Amino acid sequence: MTVAESDQIARMEIQRVERRFSWSRLTVGAIVAFWIAVVIVPVALLVPWSFMRVEQFRFAWSFNLDAYAQMIDTGRLSVVVNTLRIALTVTAIALVVSLPVALWLAKGVRSNAFRVTMMAVLTIPFFVSLASRTIVMRPVLGRTGPINSLLMQWGIIDAPIDGLLFSEFAVHLGLLAPAFPTMLFPIFAAIALVDDDLIEASRDLGASPFRVFMDVILPLAMPGIVAGIVFTLVPMLGDTVVPQLLGGTNVAMLGTSMTSIVGNMNYAGGAALAVAVLVLLAILVLAMRVAQRRSGLDRGIFEGLRR
Amino acid sequence: MNPQEQTALEPRAIVRRKPAYNIVAGALAVLIVALSYAPLLWLGFMSVSPDPLTGMPGTPTWQWYAMLFEDGKWLAPLGTSLLFAIIVALLCATVTPIVARQIPHMRHGGALMALFLVPLVIPGVLLGVGLFFYYRVTLGLPMGPWALITSHFVWAFPFALLALLINTTQFDIRLRDAASDLGASPWRAFIDVELPHLMPGVAGAALFGFLLSFNELSRSVLLRGGTTTLPIYQWTQASAHTSNVPLLFPLSTIMLVFSLVMITAAYWLLLGQRRKPA
Repeated sequence: MTVAESDQIARMEIQRVERRFSWSRLTVGAIVAFWIAVVIVPVALLVPWSFMRVEQFRFAWSFNLDAYAQMIDTGRLSVVVNTLRIALTVTAIALVVSLPVALWLAKGVRSNAFRVTMMAVLTIPFFVSLASRTIVMRPVLGRTGPINSLLMQWGIIDAPIDGLLFSEFAVHLGLLAPAFPTMLFPIFAAIALVDDDLIEASRDLGASPFRVFMDVILPLAMPGIVAGIVFTLVPMLGDTVVPQLLGGTNVAMLGTSMTSIVGNMNYAGGAALAVAVLVLLAILVLAMRVAQRRSGLDRGIFEGLRR
Repeated sequence: MNPQEQTALEPRAIVRRKPAYNIVAGALAVLIVALSYAPLLWLGFMSVSPDPLTGMPGTPTWQWYAMLFEDGKWLAPLGTSLLFAIIVALLCATVTPIVARQIPHMRHGGALMALFLVPLVIPGVLLGVGLFFYYRVTLGLPMGPWALITSHFVWAFPFALLALLINTTQFDIRLRDAASDLGASPWRAFIDVELPHLMPGVAGAALFGFLLSFNELSRSVLLRGGTTTLPIYQWTQASAHTSNVPLLFPLSTIMLVFSLVMITAAYWLLLGQRRKPA
């Protein structure tokens, strides 16, 4: 009996046993029901809410597009587009910087201890408070801060640049550093799973390292790259901390806009804005999936975990 | 494949033949580390700077720490944050194993997994606004602790699940059958055979839950009601332009050091265990 066969028999046996102890199944069912109630339902309801009216702080049944008309009139849609542009720029920079590092750590480093330590060092900042790391950027980017001081000392500028803080530059910089862990980790995991024998085989057949990367590693690592883009881009779209503390009133982004809309009790407007973002996100994810499918490599993003 | 063949093939050598590439990639790694850690280091410098708002360190002084401990307004938010973080950690430690040990063997495991990962593909503020409309505006429930804990748990759970799945997918379920063949009840088999295997993942899940709740802000903003967690306190103080702003630097530094210790513990548990089977 091969290992695969015995595995399959074991799996069938488990399914039989699992069916008998239905208690744990029942608990999982209850957890799934809770999950749908607190995650899926609130997000799905955003769509009908955006068509409703608000009376006495409650949603009242109606169907109108007022919230959407208002969103276009007040220029709030441009906030969504602006947010998307900034988030896509930062995500692209993070991708370009992270990809070579992920490849290097996954396949170019000999020492396993070094690899594990580096991945730990690079992903640890994910768990650090975004408020803490953003608060310090204000004095850093300020008139008298280290960046202006250094630039003046080197004679690159004569007077401190005022526009460093409370600008799109500050927002980009503030969003970039937190973007690395979520970008690096999935790409690293995906590249690490690429079979070394495949790489060796393509090299034996005369492929240059560049060709190996383009034709073997990149397609196989695609699910990880897509996961990295999604996990980096998505939290960035909803960020409230960086645009408010580093953009001030000069940079309008979704998170701050949403907080003020809801603060003004414009609930239908908030729902419409949320739907606009969800639609844009859906288009982006769909586009990436289509691109992935066209490359003929439509594997599940988390398939690797099963091994 | 025997060890000699492995060395002969040099399977990890695809990049090593290009030393120039190693230098570029290494430099980029240094850049990421610098961008990530320099601000954290500077935060520590600022907390002992006589005038942190100028952005430059001066003669080190502990005055802001002294004022922070005298001020004490941050203690209540700290207590709230710790309480929420512990509740979310306990929830992650108990709920995650139930799901994670079943999902790899379920027929629709993939679909369920996708369902549980939904919070990762929805911007935090949208989930916050959805939960706000749902609880407050539709169901008429009050905002505050309950809403905050739910949103923190929903945010932390996917990470806890992924961390624990590393363990549960590697656990040989035949061991469970062996235990029951030897007369153990399902509960005993779980406690004595399965749980010891899952323990590092369970602890990792709890620590992830703690950390993600302790530092959570973008979902909390809309759901806080009258409750103030430490990140909310930091955020409102930072945007308020009060004279208390210098105190944020020692406060943030303390939070940072505390978080770093916890994260290192979590990584130790998760990575240390992965080294064993290899």
